[in-house]
Amino acid sequence: MLLEHVSSPGETPQHLMVSEALGVAKARLESLTLCILGEVSEVNSKSGYKAVYFTIKDQGASLPCMMWNNRYAHSGMQLQVGMKVLVTGRFTLYAPKGRMNFDVFSLAPFGQGDLRLKIEQLSRKLQAEGLMDPAIKRRLPQLPECIGVVTSPRGDAIHDVLRTLRRRFPVAKVLVAGVPVEGAQAPQALISGLRVCESAGCDVVLLVRGGGSFEDLLPFSDEALARQIRALRVPVVTGIGHEPDTTIADLVADFRASTPTGAAQAVVPEKETLKATLEGMLVRMSSAQERILAVHEGRLGLLAQHPCMKDPMNLFAADALTLDMLGERLESAIPRTFQGLHASLDISSQRLVSLGKMMLESYGTDIALKASRLHDVSPLTVLARGYSMTRDSQGDLVRSVAQVQKGDQVTVFLSDGSFDCSVTRMQGPQGRL
Amino acid sequence: MDVQNASSSSNNQCQDVTSLRFKEALAQLDQIVSSLESNTLELEESLREYKRGVELLTYLREKLDGAQQEVDMLMGKLDVRGDDTTTDTSLS
Repeated sequence: MLLEHVSSPGETPQHLMVSEALGVAKARLESLTLCILGEVSEVNSKSGYKAVYFTIKDQGASLPCMMWNNRYAHSGMQLQVGMKVLVTGRFTLYAPKGRMNFDVFSLAPFGQGDLRLKIEQLSRKLQAEGLMDPAIKRRLPQLPECIGVVTSPRGDAIHDVLRTLRRRFPVAKVLVAGVPVEGAQAPQALISGLRVCESAGCDVVLLVRGGGSFEDLLPFSDEALARQIRALRVPVVTGIGHEPDTTIADLVADFRASTPTGAAQAVVPEKETLKATLEGMLVRMSSAQERILAVHEGRLGLLAQHPCMKDPMNLFAADALTLDMLGERLESAIPRTFQGLHASLDISSQRLVSLGKMMLESYGTDIALKASRLHDVSPLTVLARGYSMTRDSQGDLVRSVAQVQKGDQVTVFLSDGSFDCSVTRMQGPQGRL
Repeated sequence: MDVQNASSSSNNQCQDVTSLRFKEALAQLDQIVSSLESNTLELEESLREYKRGVELLTYLREKLDGAQQEVDMLMGKLDVRGDDTTTDTSLS
């Protein structure tokens, strides 16, 4: 078609500009999608690039390839020199350099097609059995007390998990089943690890390993392991390799995280979040308590407003008034009743006083008379007339001469005193005895 | 927060908080907050509950900040490496 435009000799030939020519070529090349087998001979993948550049070759030719980063990541492959790969894509042209390369849509390792197919088939089988049904997935505990970890005791995965758990929720106990995660024995070892964790009383088990190649992750796509995960009484969380590696274990697990750290994060609450929850509870508790206090305060306030509390005297006002009135009546009643009695009492008392006086006067006269008569008969009065009285040494009155003998001491009493005498002689009425 | 499955009856409330497991203490605290919020408690009871709540809260906070994670090996031997920036070397 284009050749038809080529001019005959002598004429200025019909021509295309370079860009136009390459545009024509590009359109032709890109119309064809091919699948090519080759061995990787060169890989150029730098972080700043938007695509991975590599070369595949066979014995007689080599082909520069490019694959956009998103497609490359999706393939899950790590290209290495010497690897045999199947690339699917189309030829394209990079016009500025006039260079042809192969734009790769998808990439797969050559020779493992069978294995991938088998895993794919197993996945479909288990799915058909319902082992991947979201409805049968167990809920993860909110606050696990004991966390099991089944993984290799070596490598970053276990340390990532332990560090994450320690940082987020140090309260939980961690039980580690350190088992080989690669090789032929790995699936059985992983199964034992899960069982040991379950019988040790774990609330949840993490099944983790770091990133690896498709072959490295094969034990995690084991059928027996998948069945053991579903047979376990406690939930299993996987964190195997890195996206987009997907193993059967990931598909049947109760929760799938993309990394070991992600798996650890999935099973424990974040310490700071938990503390914030606690602070929230304190706020709720305090405001509830304040409300309760306010209610009681309100009730008290109402009671205080009650008339009987506000002015307690009001309670007795009516009684007090009655009392006052009764008092008044009493006060006015008492004098009237007793006024007459008072007067008659006064008269009686006056009569009593004058009667008493009269009685005393008559007794007084009588007493004076008797006193004067008493005076007359008093021995003192007799002594005053010149008589005397004699007492012996015992103080006895000497009434007879016979009471004394010669030599006795006697005392003679007169009206104004006494003197002592010694008896020298005794005489009768007629002279000497 | 889903803590309803843990036991939190009122006869547990006189128990020493430090003898409680984290989950139990949190469940009790949750119960106390709810009962205070229900506003059906007598004054004395509410004050008692509030006091217990604060005790539980203090215990839970201390437990979160002070707990040393217990790590036991059920199978295998942990490979403890020297670089603590990327690995955990503080394991017993």
